[in-house]
Amino acid sequence: MGHRFLSAVSVAAAVAAVVSLLPAPVLGQAATAAPAAWTPPRTSWGHPDLQGIWTNETITPFERPDELQGKTVLTAEEAARLEQKTAQQRAAGDGSSPAGSVGAYNQFWMDSGTRVVSTRQSSLVVDPSDGKVPVRPEAKAKRDDNRARVTDSYEYMNLWDRCITRGVPGSMFPTAYNNAYQILQTPGYVVILYEMIHDTRIIPLDGRPHVDPKIRLWMGDSRGRWEGDTLVIDTTNFSDKARIKGIFNSEALRVVERFTLIGADTIGYEVTIDDPEAYARPWKVAMPLNRNQDYQMFEYACHEGNKAVGLILRGARAQEKAAEEAAKKPATGSKIP
Amino acid sequence: MHDRSRAAIMTAAASTVAAVVLLALTSASASPPEYQAPRTADGRPDLNGIWQALGTAHWDIEGHAARPGPIVALGAVGAIPPGLGIVEGGGIPYQPWALEKKKKNFENWLTLDPVVKCYLPGVPRTTYMPFPFQIVQTAEHILIAYEFASASRVIYMNRPDFESPIDTWMGHSRGHWEGETLVVDVTSQVPDTWFDSSGNFHSEALHVVERYTPMSPDALLYEAVIEDPKVFTRPWKIKMPLYRRLEENAQLLEFKCVEFVEELMYGRFRKKPGKEQGGQ
Repeated sequence: MGHRFLSAVSVAAAVAAVVSLLPAPVLGQAATAAPAAWTPPRTSWGHPDLQGIWTNETITPFERPDELQGKTVLTAEEAARLEQKTAQQRAAGDGSSPAGSVGAYNQFWMDSGTRVVSTRQSSLVVDPSDGKVPVRPEAKAKRDDNRARVTDSYEYMNLWDRCITRGVPGSMFPTAYNNAYQILQTPGYVVILYEMIHDTRIIPLDGRPHVDPKIRLWMGDSRGRWEGDTLVIDTTNFSDKARIKGIFNSEALRVVERFTLIGADTIGYEVTIDDPEAYARPWKVAMPLNRNQDYQMFEYACHEGNKAVGLILRGARAQEKAAEEAAKKPATGSKIP
Repeated sequence: MHDRSRAAIMTAAASTVAAVVLLALTSASASPPEYQAPRTADGRPDLNGIWQALGTAHWDIEGHAARPGPIVALGAVGAIPPGLGIVEGGGIPYQPWALEKKKKNFENWLTLDPVVKCYLPGVPRTTYMPFPFQIVQTAEHILIAYEFASASRVIYMNRPDFESPIDTWMGHSRGHWEGETLVVDVTSQVPDTWFDSSGNFHSEALHVVERYTPMSPDALLYEAVIEDPKVFTRPWKIKMPLYRRLEENAQLLEFKCVEFVEELMYGRFRKKPGKEQGGQ
């Protein structure tokens, strides 16, 4: 788990550090809507054709850094400067590991983008207006409690490290590598294949109701429909074991995603996350997905190669045993009564 | 070609016999001749749908009598049901060393079977796991998504020169149509998968050619020729029907089995005792 976790943290830290150097003039709100004049290509049965391979690697932070409070969009100059600084910091940081680290991936293994998103929005979270996820304190506390126990048992580790899933909508949030998605369409279904942890969502478009409420799923139960040229996917029936960026959701979670072709090679993706038990209010993430037909998606056989979960636990137990044995021995130089 | 004078000697009766023999061979051949499946927009047989194998091939692809299961507490529910086998023409043609290895695998299957650990099953085993799978068919890509372990594979259509640079658990699938049949050439599989829970195995040289032929609106004939010169003495073939799931609300659900094997794989390393409150 260490590599996946550490890499994401270090990249986020680098981005935050760079962003803090920027001035913060206020520009307009990020736009992911289609220009009115443009009409998307269609499948032979008349739906907008979203098929292809899409990627969304980016250095734009998920939440807006404190330093950019009130600033929703970067200027072109600010964006260029952020990109340059990020590249410099990565180059400078490559090869050095934090003290006590057994080592993490260097930049060779990363595919987390070099550019800000094309909208130049300052964070992927666009609502609330401060660009921060409105997590309830109890939900944060539960996440932190799990993180504190992470070497106790696999059950406290995050779902990605356990190779279970990155969830919905987590699977669509950009990360350190494998930020690729393939969309397939038939008259009755839209399919999204996520490269990371080989997840597949097969979304029926026939208006059928959600499955029995007793059926609770890591990735929820998705139903799709076309609203004009926008694909709307409504997802319910989530398990309360599932999480979004480490925050446990409740069974009340509802996720609504919107996919709109806004150019031949761009999908505007928006997702609204509503879970009154985990969040103080619904919140929204928006970002472009970029067509990348040259990208070769590979099998991400995560669990099959997962040595980390077992080794982390084994290492922690070995440390505990060593500490116990050290405690039994009288300290050197102490007086024996 | 037949020589004219020889052809002239043939009687009407002989012609009739020849015609009957030809008909018999056709009927006995792999492809059911008459059925024509509905067409997709691009004019191909429409294989879209949710399908599932019936039977016990996932336990043992060869013919087998019922036998007790490994967990005493499961009783009749955990016993292994019998099956006629899906291997054509008798047993699997193992090389002598490989037959010995198969026997050892069989004796220790619970420890060694990769599917017990929720590993991706590979091809062809993924087809006859006792879980549904969905075919999503487009002209360029045919996705097969399997409920077991969220396995999936994309079959690249009409790209015979597209080689995989690496080996994977589910292999590299290239497809084309031969009349009513989808033919899929599967290469680049890792040697770590098995064919069933009876220790039948292969090497990294495995090459599988699958054929999916519609038999009726609700059944596909599945055939796979299996070739692995490092393990077998000759290519061999499995054959079985796949059935459409006819429930009108049929859909794949999740069988993300990683969570069911964590205690098995990591339990001895976690803090004791037991699971505490709050964690998942």
